[in-house]
Amino acid sequence: MASTAHSATSRVAWLAIPGAGYLLLVFALPLALLLASSFQSEQGGFTWQGYTNFLSDPFNATVVWNTLKIAFIVTGLCLLIGYPTAFAMARTSLPVQGGMFLALILPLSVGVIVKSFAWTIILRSNGPINHILMSLGIVDDPVKLLFNERGLVIAAVHVFLPFMVLPIFTVARQIDSRMQEAAATLGATPVHTFLKVTWPLSLPGVVTGCAFVFSMAVSMYVIPALLIGDRYQTLPAMMARAYLFMRDRQAGSTMAVVLLLIAVFIVVASTLLTRRLQARTQAQGVAA
Amino acid sequence: MGGALGSRDGAVSSLLLSGIVKRYGTQAVVDGLDFSIRSGEFVSLLGPSGCGKTTLLRIIAGLIACDAGRVVVGDTDVTKLPAHRRNIGVVFQSYALFPHLTVGENIAFGLKAHGVQGTELAAGVSQALKAVQLSALADRPISALSGGQQQRVAVARAIATRPRLILLDEPLSALDRKLRETMQIELRQMLRDAGMTAIFVTHDQEEALVMSDRIAVMNHGRIEQFDAPDTIYARPSTPFALNFVGLSSQWHGEVSRVSDTLLTVQTDCGTIDAPLAALPDATPGARVLVGVRPEMIEIKHLETSLAPLDAVPRNRLAVTVGETVFLGSRRLVYFQSQQVGANAVMAEVATNQSVATAPGDQLQLSWPVGHTLVYPMSASH
Repeated sequence: MASTAHSATSRVAWLAIPGAGYLLLVFALPLALLLASSFQSEQGGFTWQGYTNFLSDPFNATVVWNTLKIAFIVTGLCLLIGYPTAFAMARTSLPVQGGMFLALILPLSVGVIVKSFAWTIILRSNGPINHILMSLGIVDDPVKLLFNERGLVIAAVHVFLPFMVLPIFTVARQIDSRMQEAAATLGATPVHTFLKVTWPLSLPGVVTGCAFVFSMAVSMYVIPALLIGDRYQTLPAMMARAYLFMRDRQAGSTMAVVLLLIAVFIVVASTLLTRRLQARTQAQGVAA
Repeated sequence: MGGALGSRDGAVSSLLLSGIVKRYGTQAVVDGLDFSIRSGEFVSLLGPSGCGKTTLLRIIAGLIACDAGRVVVGDTDVTKLPAHRRNIGVVFQSYALFPHLTVGENIAFGLKAHGVQGTELAAGVSQALKAVQLSALADRPISALSGGQQQRVAVARAIATRPRLILLDEPLSALDRKLRETMQIELRQMLRDAGMTAIFVTHDQEEALVMSDRIAVMNHGRIEQFDAPDTIYARPSTPFALNFVGLSSQWHGEVSRVSDTLLTVQTDCGTIDAPLAALPDATPGARVLVGVRPEMIEIKHLETSLAPLDAVPRNRLAVTVGETVFLGSRRLVYFQSQQVGANAVMAEVATNQSVATAPGDQLQLSWPVGHTLVYPMSASH
């Protein structure tokens, strides 16, 4: 048994070669070059200069903070909106589910630039949102939604929402609705049921969704570029400026490495968390 | 089960349902149903799938609302109460155990929801585990349990909160036959020991006969008969109950004569007498369905059957043997029949009884007139 299982595993391993090879060529290799260039002085020698420069400038701390803050807010809002959406989708009838799927997936085929540009039209002072708010008498003067964090968050949540909904939907669909009923017959209030049954069972989806959205939000460039511009600096924007305008390869690479470390930390941490949760949740197949 | 949980309304309760109606669209799934069971009783809801038995269970548990009627547990009207405030335990068909919790945590769930803590909580959990003989498995994850063990955890979880009533929705249907038969006895014993009033939904007539104090035979959202198992079997009150519980030979016929104590039915296979008590309002010319349980039938070879000199009057019919089915301790002999639309005619014979039956044999059937069942037939039949 063990030897057949082993040979089956090794045969399956071949299937990973195209993907692994591709990633090696277009991702790992450039990454290594990036890492190397962050340690490369102008003369070509090894130096910590890039990192000491980056860490010694307090402005960079603000930028990292801004980047993380926006990413956390966007992830949080996506979760807040996406979680109930995913459950509604998992529990509804098939035709409605199909409609919701389309509504979620189709916008992905529209480029981020188009979507961001559309948001600049919607959010500007004389745009439809302010028009409605003013004609309803809710505000007297146009609300400033463009070129500040509000607009950025609104647009980013819109762009990233599907990446939160889909993983949670996948998990929610597998949660037997009898779980909630069983909890109710045992005397649990809806809130208690949510906290002790639904939420823990859906955590793997939540973690995956948050990892998706967070790593995209922390590294987004196009959306802030169109909706805020230069005034509000995030790490990806600074990185682009270092590369494209200042032609400072070392500074750009250093920031790229810092950003990468943040993203890797988040993804690895969330993967480990999911693993641990799934080890306890394996029973789903048997009990459901 | 003791005083640890005595602080809540743990008293075992009776149940009264009156005028329960549940419609889906224009279809009434439960149709003006009245039903009551006594405290401590073990009652089965027996019926085919789609008869409304699971819907009724969910209405009692408070998982769905009924369109009309009242649900009264003990002396409390719970019709308007949500499920989590009814304290009615449910054992689901799929068990619906919480996969992210251990066996012990699953059982503790309901107690915690009721605000039980500390040593009282631990005592409640171990008591429930002891009741289902799973004390050794408290720390196992649910995934490490067999089907039978999961079933017992589901029961333990449901009884741990000392519910006023426990509802079981086909809890044994996922188990294989051997285990199911063991669990039937065990489950009844566990619930008896816990002193529970229990309602058990099943489509398996044998299960219902084995387990219940009383059986409610359900069809089309109504209860056709509610009686003890032996009464249901011996005196089914409707053709549906006759067909759903146990086997029977059946003939279509017409009442030809009504006397003081007997009515005579003319069928394609001959005349059959039945006690008038079986259908007191019978009139000559009425279309009826006649039935008899197969183990009531005695078979004899024609040449040995001499003049009837029985103490009790018997019905006699001449038949031709068709197929014989061997069932271990018994044989089921089917007879050839020209009847259209009625059940096959059959007799159940103990295997050690030496009447040989080969296809084509001419035999005589007989059974006591008193065991003949008669039902009126509506014009549509």
